[in-house]
Amino acid sequence: MAQEGELVMINWLGGAQGEMMTKLQESFEAKYPGVTVRNVVPQAGGDARGGIRGLLMGGEQADLLINTWPAFRAELIEAGLILPLDESYDSNNWGDQLGESWRALSRVNGENYGVTYTFGDRSGIWYRTDTMEKAGITPPTTYEDFIGGFSALNDAGITPISVPAKVWAHAEWFESLLLRTAGADYMTRLASGDASWTDDEVKVALQTWQEMLTANCCDDGNTMLALDWDISVDAALKTGDAAYVLMGMWLNTRAKQEYGDTPGEDFNIFQFPAFGLGHDDESMVDAKEFNVLSSVENREAADAFISYMLTADAAEIMAQYGLASPSTDVDPSIYDPVIQRSVSEVTSANKLQFVLGDLLPGDLGSEYRVAMQRFLQDPSDETIEAITAQLAAVANGVY
Amino acid sequence: MACTKMSLAEIENSGGPSGPPKQELPVRVRKQLTDTQAAWFLLTPLLLFFVISVVYPVIETIRLSFFDIRGLAPERFDGWGNYVKLFSDPNFLSSLKVTFIWAISATFFSVSIGWGLAMMCSLNPRKTLIFRVMIFAAYGVSEAVSGFMWLGIYRPDYGLLNGILEGVGLSGWTQPWLGNPSTALGAVVIAYVWTQVGLPLMTCFASIQSIPKNLFEAAYIDGAKSGSVMRYIIAPLSLPGVRVAIFINLLNSLKAFDLIFILTGGGPVRSTETVGFFMYRESMLNFKLGYGAASTVILLIAVLVVSIPLIIKRTGDAK
Repeated sequence: MAQEGELVMINWLGGAQGEMMTKLQESFEAKYPGVTVRNVVPQAGGDARGGIRGLLMGGEQADLLINTWPAFRAELIEAGLILPLDESYDSNNWGDQLGESWRALSRVNGENYGVTYTFGDRSGIWYRTDTMEKAGITPPTTYEDFIGGFSALNDAGITPISVPAKVWAHAEWFESLLLRTAGADYMTRLASGDASWTDDEVKVALQTWQEMLTANCCDDGNTMLALDWDISVDAALKTGDAAYVLMGMWLNTRAKQEYGDTPGEDFNIFQFPAFGLGHDDESMVDAKEFNVLSSVENREAADAFISYMLTADAAEIMAQYGLASPSTDVDPSIYDPVIQRSVSEVTSANKLQFVLGDLLPGDLGSEYRVAMQRFLQDPSDETIEAITAQLAAVANGVY
Repeated sequence: MACTKMSLAEIENSGGPSGPPKQELPVRVRKQLTDTQAAWFLLTPLLLFFVISVVYPVIETIRLSFFDIRGLAPERFDGWGNYVKLFSDPNFLSSLKVTFIWAISATFFSVSIGWGLAMMCSLNPRKTLIFRVMIFAAYGVSEAVSGFMWLGIYRPDYGLLNGILEGVGLSGWTQPWLGNPSTALGAVVIAYVWTQVGLPLMTCFASIQSIPKNLFEAAYIDGAKSGSVMRYIIAPLSLPGVRVAIFINLLNSLKAFDLIFILTGGGPVRSTETVGFFMYRESMLNFKLGYGAASTVILLIAVLVVSIPLIIKRTGDAK
């Protein structure tokens, strides 16, 4: 069927990812000359959800929405603002291009509401190769090796881990520890309110984090609380003042474009160390997906665009911007060595777990990040008891 | 004085005792508006704009504050529920305390410094012109731009402040100013005072300029020194300008948001979260519009409590 007409997309992407989306849209329009893509840009500083909500509450008509927050997807479903996509999955054979793990990420109550078009490996720890050489260590594979390397790094004048705890990026370490010690299934239950923040699983993860802090993994608490994510990334991937940083795949673009570094040579990633507790083959990811809005007027073009985003051509454009596609149609050799490593780790993972902070409903998400700040400021047993009780209390009021 | 009560049409038709002979105006022009009509005619666009941009949003905010609104779910009437929750929410109570400390300290320091600088500048207005312009320029810089500048000053790794302290041998004093909950609020207040000191400087300076010159001449003839002139003449007679500065800076500080957003984002551990920031968090991040609106109403009441007595006082003074 020849698609035509206007395709309206709520597009909040900025920077390099915004440029990438523009290129993808131009490429799509070249393939479907009858379709014109129009972007509706939500006006919001910081978290784009505020602007998107404003648009939707104001009655803005659009066909597609770019979404990266599972908790927001749940809110949209509850409000009846996005459509289930199971029929489109079947008619467009998207299921052939997306593995079960990816489909599971966007499934709510047995129905699919999103199609993932790009993802990031959030269990990958980033480092500079010359930093490791300077400290005389190699990327660790086990927790014991990992924590054992802190003294060599400190002796070389390098802070082992830079944790940017000013706003949000500090929760990643706790979440990775929780994944390794309690597993993806437990995290899913915690995010959905079926497990309690006062469970031993949460406390064990915090105690492991406490052990790392005691082993001088990081700056003092107040310094961590003063760091924006970009300062931490510069410290780990530019100046070499720190060894490791844990963050999303956009660091690949930053290191290549802003630092002029070569992926795989100047910098690389290794997977979060193994704990031997049965969850070492699980990975944490972030992802961006398309949702079809219930106000859709050009369903054919919307489906065609989603189908295009799963093609090798679209992946080629994404690869130029340092991002990966989940599509099985893509040959991983198009990626640079760092993305290849990420793709390999994620596709071979037994289970995928979305970033916990983005799964939590608004109130709990805010309290969770503040609780993690409180922990970094004073990582004592008393704090662990206090913050888990506080989070459990907030969770009780939310679910 | 009676003339002021005459309409333009009446003046037009009254002839007048002198002046060139008047030409007969066309009927279209002679149909003049009365003063009241003219006043309404001129004020209506502004009033319409005021109603749309101020009155309606305020009424809508008050309405929303009585509803439970979570995300995109339908709103549900909750009576005084949001207000009851607010005053049992430790985060809101903490933000009230932070707002109080923030507003009082920011106003006190910005007005005190501005007033002091104005008195010193008044001793030689011509030579201090560039100095005054430079300080006032900071008031014209947006809070966002100032915020990024102060971020560079307070950076924990390569920040200017820590660099200076290390340079003068005070390494023990260096610290992550914005990451330490016990210094973060003070650090943000200092940055905010820097942006706000220009206005008190100008209002106080203007007030000082209106002091009759013969008072200074008499004081100097009587052998008064500069210090005495400042203490007994300039300081007391510049108080009207100080009052205006306090009024404006206090209201500005209650509304302050951009600088806090950029420097600390309300952290660390909510230590710099003012009511304004609490409202932003609840409304825009947690998207609890009703709850956020209730905190806005509380802030609005605080602003009115501060401003109405001062406006009444100023209006009384003007009469």
